[in-house]
Amino acid sequence: MSGSQHEDSLAERRWLNALAKGDPTALGGLYELYGEKIFRYTFRMLGNRSDAEDATAETFLRVLRRSAELRADGAFRTWLFRIARNLCIDKMRQHRLLELPTDAHYTGTEDRATLRVTVQQALSELPIEYRDPLVLCDLEDVSAKEAAEILQISVPALKSRLYRGRRALRDRLGGSIEKLT
Amino acid sequence: MNEFYNKLVDLYAGGELTEELSDEMEAEALKNGALAQDMFTLRKTVEALQSLPSPDLTEESDYRILLKMQIQGTEVRRKSPESSHWQYHLLIQS
Repeated sequence: MSGSQHEDSLAERRWLNALAKGDPTALGGLYELYGEKIFRYTFRMLGNRSDAEDATAETFLRVLRRSAELRADGAFRTWLFRIARNLCIDKMRQHRLLELPTDAHYTGTEDRATLRVTVQQALSELPIEYRDPLVLCDLEDVSAKEAAEILQISVPALKSRLYRGRRALRDRLGGSIEKLT
Repeated sequence: MNEFYNKLVDLYAGGELTEELSDEMEAEALKNGALAQDMFTLRKTVEALQSLPSPDLTEESDYRILLKMQIQGTEVRRKSPESSHWQYHLLIQS
């Protein structure tokens, strides 16, 4: 565990204890600690800022509503991501019903800058079982073990989805990826 | 390509092979066009994915998130305007 992770772990424990005691600053402390991570994750999953803001706010509201279930045993971060993930899935279902667009737009131009947009678009079109491990492991640098815990699957299953997801992403990118040198 | 090579390519693309094994894969790819294509495109895919810029939690987004919580009856606010870390207050409105 790095120094920064250790400090975060201590801070997490302190804020969870504070939350359990009804300290009015506790949720703010947890938001300070994890708000940006949850925002980044939800943005990557949902592809637009507005929905990511909604999902982030709701994630922390649920922490407060379900604070009786909390344990300061290191599983909080996993639990938090799980809440955020479930909210993202709900949002995605709504999008499918309403066909809302994402912030990313594919222009068809094949230079490096637009390739990023293409990759983001292709990622957002992947099935959730592939998008999840790619976002967690390749983009958010979550370990395979923790990602597996968040997704409630085994590490081998996580790896299998990660590898299939990368191949599915490549298939969606088609010729765009081959033009990169 | 057989399942064994597929697994190796997956590990190669994710940078999970040792340097020695990666070198062996690359040497093998020189003799096998299909393998080379698989390795090259998959590794480029992972690199392109990992090069995506990280979404910023801008001040505006931060403000809107806190506002959304407030609208739901939970206010998380800073103690003083100049503060940044560790200084949020939570007010639970009944």
